[in-house]
Amino acid sequence: MSAVTDTETPLRRGGGLARHFGFWPVVTAIVLVLIVGLLLVPVANIVGVSLSAGAKTGSIFENYVNFFSERFYYQTLINSFWVSIWAMIFAVCLGVPAAYFVNRYEIWGRGFVRAAVVLTFVSPPFIGSYSWVVLFGRSGVLTQFFNSIGVSLPSIYGASGIIFVFTLQFFPFVFLLVSSGLKSIDQSVEDAARNLGSSEFRTFRTAIAPLLVPSITTSALLVFIASFTDLGTPIILGERFRVLPVLIYGEFVNEFGGRPVLASALSVLLLSVTTGALLLQRWLSARFSYATSAIRPLQVQEQPLGKRIAATAFVFLLIGFALLPLVNIVVSSFLQSNGPVLVASFTLDNYARILDRITLPLWNTLFYTTVATMLCAIIGTAIAYIIVRRPGPVSSLLDTVVMFSYAVPGIVLGVGLVVTYHEPPFALTGTAAIIILAYFIRRLPFSVRSSVSMLQQISRDTEDASINLGAGPGRTFAKITVPLLATAILSGALLTWSNTIRELSATLILQSGTTTTVAIEIFNEVVNGNFGLASALGTVLILLTFLPLVVLFTLLGKKEEALV
Amino acid sequence: MASTSVHIDQVTKRYGDSIAVDGVSLDIAKGEFFTLLGSSGCGKTTLLRIIAGFLKQTSGRILFGNSCIDDLAPQHRNTGMVFQSYAIFPHLSVVDNIAYGLRARGLKAAEVKQKVDTYLALTRLSHLGHRKPRELSGGQQQRVVLARAMVIEPDVLLMDEPLSNLDTEMRMHLRTEIRALQRKIGVTTIYVTHDQEEALLMSDRIAVMRGGRLEQVASPHDIYNKPSTRFVASFIGENNFLPAVHRGNAEAGFVRIELPGGQFTAKLRGELPQGALEAAFRPQDIELRPLDGDGDGLVGTLTDIQFLGGTVRYAIDLGGGHLVQVAGASRTGVMLPEIGTRHRLGLSPAAIALFAPEAA
Ligand SMILES: Nc1ncnc2c1ncn2[C@@H]1O[C@H](COP(=O)(O)OP(=O)(O)O)[C@@H](O)[C@H]1O
Ligand SMILES: [Mg+2]
Repeated sequence: MSAVTDTETPLRRGGGLARHFGFWPVVTAIVLVLIVGLLLVPVANIVGVSLSAGAKTGSIFENYVNFFSERFYYQTLINSFWVSIWAMIFAVCLGVPAAYFVNRYEIWGRGFVRAAVVLTFVSPPFIGSYSWVVLFGRSGVLTQFFNSIGVSLPSIYGASGIIFVFTLQFFPFVFLLVSSGLKSIDQSVEDAARNLGSSEFRTFRTAIAPLLVPSITTSALLVFIASFTDLGTPIILGERFRVLPVLIYGEFVNEFGGRPVLASALSVLLLSVTTGALLLQRWLSARFSYATSAIRPLQVQEQPLGKRIAATAFVFLLIGFALLPLVNIVVSSFLQSNGPVLVASFTLDNYARILDRITLPLWNTLFYTTVATMLCAIIGTAIAYIIVRRPGPVSSLLDTVVMFSYAVPGIVLGVGLVVTYHEPPFALTGTAAIIILAYFIRRLPFSVRSSVSMLQQISRDTEDASINLGAGPGRTFAKITVPLLATAILSGALLTWSNTIRELSATLILQSGTTTTVAIEIFNEVVNGNFGLASALGTVLILLTFLPLVVLFTLLGKKEEALV
Repeated sequence: MASTSVHIDQVTKRYGDSIAVDGVSLDIAKGEFFTLLGSSGCGKTTLLRIIAGFLKQTSGRILFGNSCIDDLAPQHRNTGMVFQSYAIFPHLSVVDNIAYGLRARGLKAAEVKQKVDTYLALTRLSHLGHRKPRELSGGQQQRVVLARAMVIEPDVLLMDEPLSNLDTEMRMHLRTEIRALQRKIGVTTIYVTHDQEEALLMSDRIAVMRGGRLEQVASPHDIYNKPSTRFVASFIGENNFLPAVHRGNAEAGFVRIELPGGQFTAKLRGELPQGALEAAFRPQDIELRPLDGDGDGLVGTLTDIQFLGGTVRYAIDLGGGHLVQVAGASRTGVMLPEIGTRHRLGLSPAAIALFAPEAA
């Protein structure tokens, strides 16, 4: 009988652990350790630290009581809600019509508009903010110009400036999700309504908008979360108007190690809000999702010339405002500067000056981003495999935790990692490792999501055939699953790369002088008022962010919607 | 030859409350071409995947030869499986697809090449070795996965409806090709299909499955001619069913039964079931006779004629809601009867099978 004898020796290969426990159980255990250690334990520690008994009352809620009884503190929470809710409302009011016009009207330059939205979306928010300062700040180029002709502009600082920048920075969430929502509506829906005598606006309001509710609510909440957790913009523009992330950063950095307790309590508050928003988003999209699948998606309509021009003007005005800070960065990187004051004469000085000081941060940035991206690609694909192919309690736990990592803001993760890993045997603070691990856990969802959706389309039979031919689970994963997922893994990696390279908030908490990154350097130059240098660095960073996306869209044929 | 016999001993698979395979026992001989036949959802794939090791049975044992394989992981069972969906590796060339299992076994390159070449030739794919799967037709892809499963010299070849995705012509062609190849290699084969014609044509033996259970295990000839249950009689080929009443015994081995419209003598096959009976007889076993002759026979009115060239099908209404299908040969120069005329139906005692009616 050969069944047993044949297979004893040549087939049983592979690592000792994997041989003993099986390949996937071992991988699952590794993944769990990473996720628990990098996400759940830090979050649990923040909660724990925030509840440590206070000196005055001895109550474990003393930190929270303090927060809600001192106006200086609780005002930041109100401020955060204030700017985030307004940014959300404005982003929806601008993003929905823009998406509708671009997808339904024959506006001119549609391809350019799409590219511009993507560029806006992926550019680092803090670059946008300081670019507005360069233009409209106290000594801004345009402020001075308008002053000279006797017009005084509204201030770019404070709440209104932050809302303005957030709106322009985050309306692409709405634009992209509503665009894909529109594409899933069948033309017959509109035809039926128009046939019954509805006007265009009435048709939109009664027949199309209800089907867009899931896209609109999801994107609105994403705008809210992004605004609520952003650190760079309110630091640059906020001045005396302080929001919650700025307070956390201040408490944490001012007295490093001194008041992590308060910073932790603030982080828990921030995390509660984002988690709540995410849960609300899931509930809303489950509640309002219609299983529509468009056989013939909504078509571009012919419009009278007047409408066409008006729609094009609206879209280009919006895009113009959104792109202005980026154009400004690139232009001003070639201008001579004297501190915050730019002079209108061309120079390569800024680039010459960053060359010698960019080496370390650039190298760090590329190294951290690359390693984190590779980790995300490998571990993310393994997690995707476990979620799709090995359903069970562990698998749904992984699914939930990966979703949860969306909700953990960078600054909270940073605080959590420092609180958790500042003492031996895991004294990682100040090392490159902790930054890489932070990037990894923060950007993991991109890889997981990309591989999950592809894996669901691949028949399990292909992998079973490999096992059946004697290949074992590890070899099957490497030789069959990974090659079949290649494009999904690559596009997940490109998204990870482009989102990681501009990371600011976690890095601000975690970096030490030697582990600085390009984003940190830009931030420092801005804070120090060296706008020429900041612009040159910013231009480099925008290029590094945008290049992988060019590959994603051209070579891999992805649509812009993949970004959200 | 690596081939082996397979013994399935009281294998059951439950999914919660539902039961996909229910106490199946089978002994499959070395080198046999054995077919699991049944309609969709009867548990064929489940049983096959249990044998391959992708599913674990709830209870029961499986032996290859005389060693139990229940604790062997699927990659160590040395079965060659052909999937309904082909499951060809789309990123590998034909040669690399076929070599996959050999390389997993750590064979040397020269040995791999020699075996792959042999099977490329056997499946007539030699000229396509370096193509990618997407450049092959469905039939060619099916031959690649067949070669891929056979080249590892499996103990058992498992095929799950391998032809169901092909067009009729290719299906006809590959049936004979698979069978010829299997004879040549001599590998024990368990073949799953819902197509009875395929099963009858290819198999040494057939197991008819229903609701997770085995209905009958027999040669194609016996499955068709001696169905042991009413289900098999209705599932394989075509049968007329009429309620019957036992009216006493005739000479040894024969009974008298009454059908709606007349009495018959039927040959006994084994035990006569207790209680109510149903008589089954195939359309081609009925002779249409003119009304004037006498003797046994049901009388009915011809209500429909379907002329199919070589055969003619008649629908006879016996009254009382009983319709009988009759198939006859069409002979040159013989006139077809007219619709509305009455006929007597002749049946030989051996053509009638008696069953207990299906529990509703
Ligand atoms: N994973 C599963 N969970 C629950 N029921 C299943 C599962 N897989 C198969 N079944 C049920 O088991 C029965 C047999 O399925 P299957 O073996 O695929 O049938 P066949 O291959 O004969 O069409 C079906 O009723 C099917 O619904
Ligand atoms: Mg099946």
